[in-house]
Amino acid sequence: MPSAKKTAHRDLFPGALEMMILQSLRRQPMHGYALVQHIKQQSNDLLQVEEGSLYPALQRMLKESLVKAEWEISATNRRVRTYRITPAGIKHLQREVSRFEQMLDGIALVLSPAKP
Amino acid sequence: MNWFEQLFARCQMYGALSEEIHTHLSEKVEELVASGVPRKEAEYQAKREFGNVTLIEERSREVWMWPRLESILADIKFALRQLRKSPGFTVAAVLTLTLGIGINTAVFSVVHHILLEPLPFPQPSQLQAVWARSDAQGSPRIAASGPDFLDYQDQSRSFSHIAAVLPHFTFTWTGEGEPRLVKCTAITEDFFSVLGIRPYMGRLYTAREYATLENDTILVSYGFWKNQLGGDPHVLGRVIHLQNDPTTIVGVLPPLPDLFPETDVWPEHNTRPSWEFSKWRANKFLTVIGRLKDGVTPAMAQGELTGILRRASGEPPDVQVQLTPLKDDLVGSVRTQLRIIMFSVALVLIVACVNVAALLLARAARRSGEMALRLCLGAAHKRVRQQLVVEGFVLTLLACSPGIFVAWLALHFLPYARGLDFPRLEGVCLNGTALLVTGAVAAVTTLFFGWAPSLMFSALNLASSMRTGRTDTGKSHQRSFSGLVIAEIACSVVLCICAGLLLHSYWRLQHVDLGFEPNRMLKAYLRTNYYTPEGHGFWRDVLQGIATLPGVRAAALADCKPGQGAEIATLVFSDRPNDPNHAPPAQGCWMSSDFFRVSGTPLMQGRFFAPGDDADSAPVVIVNEQAARKYWPGENPIGKKISINYTGPGRTSKSATRMREIVGVVRGMKYGPLELPIEPAVYMPYLQDEISHDMATMSLFVRSVGDPTALESSIRVRIHAVAPDQPIDDMQTMQDIVSRSMAPRRYSLSLLGAFAALALLLSAIGIYGIVSYTTLQRSREFGIRIAVGATRGSVMSHIFRRGLVLTASGAILGVGMALLLTRILAQLLFDVSPLDPLSFASAVVLLALISIAACLLPAWRASHLDPIRALRSE
Repeated sequence: MPSAKKTAHRDLFPGALEMMILQSLRRQPMHGYALVQHIKQQSNDLLQVEEGSLYPALQRMLKESLVKAEWEISATNRRVRTYRITPAGIKHLQREVSRFEQMLDGIALVLSPAKP
Repeated sequence: MNWFEQLFARCQMYGALSEEIHTHLSEKVEELVASGVPRKEAEYQAKREFGNVTLIEERSREVWMWPRLESILADIKFALRQLRKSPGFTVAAVLTLTLGIGINTAVFSVVHHILLEPLPFPQPSQLQAVWARSDAQGSPRIAASGPDFLDYQDQSRSFSHIAAVLPHFTFTWTGEGEPRLVKCTAITEDFFSVLGIRPYMGRLYTAREYATLENDTILVSYGFWKNQLGGDPHVLGRVIHLQNDPTTIVGVLPPLPDLFPETDVWPEHNTRPSWEFSKWRANKFLTVIGRLKDGVTPAMAQGELTGILRRASGEPPDVQVQLTPLKDDLVGSVRTQLRIIMFSVALVLIVACVNVAALLLARAARRSGEMALRLCLGAAHKRVRQQLVVEGFVLTLLACSPGIFVAWLALHFLPYARGLDFPRLEGVCLNGTALLVTGAVAAVTTLFFGWAPSLMFSALNLASSMRTGRTDTGKSHQRSFSGLVIAEIACSVVLCICAGLLLHSYWRLQHVDLGFEPNRMLKAYLRTNYYTPEGHGFWRDVLQGIATLPGVRAAALADCKPGQGAEIATLVFSDRPNDPNHAPPAQGCWMSSDFFRVSGTPLMQGRFFAPGDDADSAPVVIVNEQAARKYWPGENPIGKKISINYTGPGRTSKSATRMREIVGVVRGMKYGPLELPIEPAVYMPYLQDEISHDMATMSLFVRSVGDPTALESSIRVRIHAVAPDQPIDDMQTMQDIVSRSMAPRRYSLSLLGAFAALALLLSAIGIYGIVSYTTLQRSREFGIRIAVGATRGSVMSHIFRRGLVLTASGAILGVGMALLLTRILAQLLFDVSPLDPLSFASAVVLLALISIAACLLPAWRASHLDPIRALRSE
């Protein structure tokens, strides 16, 4: 039975993983393994994403046409499936990021010491 | 990508996904190896960090699916495969459910149609039947006389329309082939307005026709037009001869399956002017129906009519008018019977469901290893439960359509069931409500089937069951299993006891003293048109012609019909004061001198009639022992003088009665239903009728030497030799009449018997199932027992004990239930108490025998276990 503990560990909040994937892909198209590595490095290993959980998220985004995938040959000479962000994906990312920032601001306000 | 493309691109997509994940893992392994981790270790670490590959792949695929739906589809496929793999189980379960569902749907359709469906007339709730009751006279259902009806019609303000009906009489139809009798229901002017009926063809009667005594027009029923007149489209204006009078057909009524469905023609019944016999206040023969005005409640109308009736002279002071909804009035007699059938059929369904649940549970127990494995591999409990519910659902679904077919078949053949004279039977069909109810029952069963085993698995100890490799689901589920079987046995016991009670009643009834000997006795109904003195000669010639037929031992005429009915006479005594308002009643009968010799009724005292008891000799009467006991208690009735007010059927006038001398006492004869006690009766020679030319209706009774049916054609020939246009109706053996009067009883008995047998069979399967299942579970234990020296006998008795404990618990529960429930059967019982010990005991003994039989095979199997193999196979 998938425990609740694991889920909390993986998803910081709903949509976080998606946002990070889209942001990474916006910089450059990547395949799955590279994406995991990229997110790990960018977060200074603070975020430990269960690698596998990437794939259901990628499938979801494929289905919603936020990304598209193509088979290519990687730098290590492997046949890999490279994901690219679509215009719809960019729009979605911007919307999500601004919503996230708003939420962050809100949280920050609540958490900051009360002004006299 | 739209969903349609998705559907086709899916396979490709799943392939890509697998490959992608695979590449991911190998890439990771390469990197780890490059950083110095040993390959083996690297592979483990890669997998650990990636997570459950199968689960992730599945979850990724689910993005593209309708996961709920598809998992259900997969479960259905799996369930079907499972069922195919164990055909024995499948056939048993599906057959059980099919019968349960089918029989229930059929019975519910019948009950729904007869008891629940409103009459097919506008605003049927306004239609009421009007009866009077008088508890002082012990008459719960008194019809109306002509004057009563006219009073209601003139004085009541409660009804928008009120009409009287005179059903169940006949006309002779001559001039077209063999003379026939047509069944008539006479109606008064407002009848069609009460019901809101329009003619199917032609017109209804005009006001002038209702006011003409010798009316020469007639309305015919739809059935008569279709079957007797060949559905002739030009039937209007056709002339047929009824009662020797040319009568013109002016209209055809629509089919009226609910109301007097056997009626051939609907003559009008005149109220103003009216025939002589409808002017007598005491001649209560009319059925009154009315349509209440809007806003008038039955209670209001009841009060008003009671007031009207009490104002009339000669009515008992406690007379009370009662309104019954017309539908209830039509179906009243079969209500109890139908309810009992419904109840027993529901018990059968419960037994069937419990049985299937037990089968499923046994199977689930065998599959607990599979379930444990699934749960260990990460299947959610919810998911496993879904699978089990789907399996139950598939089973129910498989049983539903053949069940509906069984119901359809049963309903299709229902009208051909002999002797089943339920009202409103015509037009019974599988209806939506019945199907809905069946569906609901099926749904409940499904949930039950699915939940029961899944509850069992939620308590499953995964670790231990995986470690030991044994699939023991523990005591708790054996207990629920036993509970199911006990419930099943209890239901069967209840059904068996009910069937036993009915069987016992039936047996008692078959051995009841009829007062006549029905074997080798033939009866025919003769309604003549001889309203004149020449009738006399006709009857004499008919009797003579038939008595001299070879094969005839004796022949007689009578206007009462043993086994069927007699009309009521009232008595006037010469030796005591008589109160005309409370004249003592007795069943009356005019008869020819040989009647008792034909019927085989024993003489208790005095003498039978002699041919010399005719119009010229002193008037005489024979009474039955019931009359003798009631009216001359402790006295010898022979020689007493009474006069008898008796008209008999088919006669239209009467004159002053004479004093008659009682010359004999005979054993009482059963006239009506066999279960009713014999009433006082008086018998008189028809030649001594007060107006002897007026005998229009008689039945002919013939005692034969051999098979009475062999005489039928020669009797017809002899009668037609006397009068060529004499209709001969209703010719049948007395044995048939008696047997037909028991038909409804036989019908409920055979139904309940069949249900009980079915329940017994199912319980036997249930007992067999649980005993062989527990035996299987404990085969290791039995193996050890045998290995350490237990005898085969002791193992067998151990198993029998288990079966008997189950049976005994079920039987005790069942007897307890029956003690509470059999009371509702009381109305159907004859001379048998609802707590009849014989029925209770035999049901329990029968069940004990069956359970022993069911235990035999598993016990034998266990006692012949090869201990080595039993121990090794575990």
